[in-house]
Amino acid sequence: MELTELQQKIIASVQQDIPLVSAPYATIAAELGVSEERLLKELQALCDRGVIRRFGATLRHQKSGYGANAMAAWQVDEDRIEEVGRKMASFPAVSHCYRRNPTDQWPYNLYTMIHAADEESCRQTARSMAEAAGLETYTLLFSVRELKKTSMQYFSTDDDD
Amino acid sequence: MDDIDRKILNRIQSRFPITPRPFLTIADELGLTEKEVISRTVHLKNSGIIRRIGANFVPGKLGFVSTLCAAKVPEEYVERFAEVVNRFPGVTHNYLRDNAFNVWFTFIAPSREEIEKNLQKIAEETGIEKILNLPATKVFKIKAKFAV
Repeated sequence: MELTELQQKIIASVQQDIPLVSAPYATIAAELGVSEERLLKELQALCDRGVIRRFGATLRHQKSGYGANAMAAWQVDEDRIEEVGRKMASFPAVSHCYRRNPTDQWPYNLYTMIHAADEESCRQTARSMAEAAGLETYTLLFSVRELKKTSMQYFSTDDDD
Repeated sequence: MDDIDRKILNRIQSRFPITPRPFLTIADELGLTEKEVISRTVHLKNSGIIRRIGANFVPGKLGFVSTLCAAKVPEEYVERFAEVVNRFPGVTHNYLRDNAFNVWFTFIAPSREEIEKNLQKIAEETGIEKILNLPATKVFKIKAKFAV
């Protein structure tokens, strides 16, 4: 996908925090040297084209009632992966669901992130998911500590101020 | 956090209005004033419940690729290993987890080759050779919001 210089500048800006003021886009537009109208148009286009997956607030899970998260790694027959992937994805407690290639050292091919109030609720959800999908082989990896969590900085320049 | 805060949080996690006065748009939807929505949002940000308000992108649409990596790191060496890994700007999430493969991090870069090259660098610098590189081959779900 071709991105114009302006689009890259917009992306570099809105991947940060937008200002929490009455007219935040006017502030951003002024920084970028474009009209507010143009910025709104470009932003909407980035959303419509699916470049922006989500525009809004990201919460700290631990502080918003989701005290525990577990990554469940599942071993699924490849000929059932579509069906099982969709079933797992339908659980509200599941935030992410991906297929990944298994390796010699790590035989799992389906991954789900489960968020809940506590570890026991995560375990319970995983049991329900296993039952719903008719799976027995999986492992739950609880997060012990956050070592890093940031957003990717695309197209950012070191000398833009 | 009260019910009004919850209403605001449930509204602003996705489809944040792209309008000249986004907080006014939200206020009208929720039956609040613009001023109240802004001041509560500022408070939720300052208290750490909101991590960030902005855009989240699909890496592939920007010419980037992403992957999930996992390493087996001796407990006493986790800090040092994380320091080396976290230096890469493309490493956006990194968690210590309760498994033999205990350090799990995501890596975003312009190409698969660059990720491989960087994993090689990490292995050389830390002596941790067993790093799994597990790019997603299919996305079934990326959740847009968490009900609070």
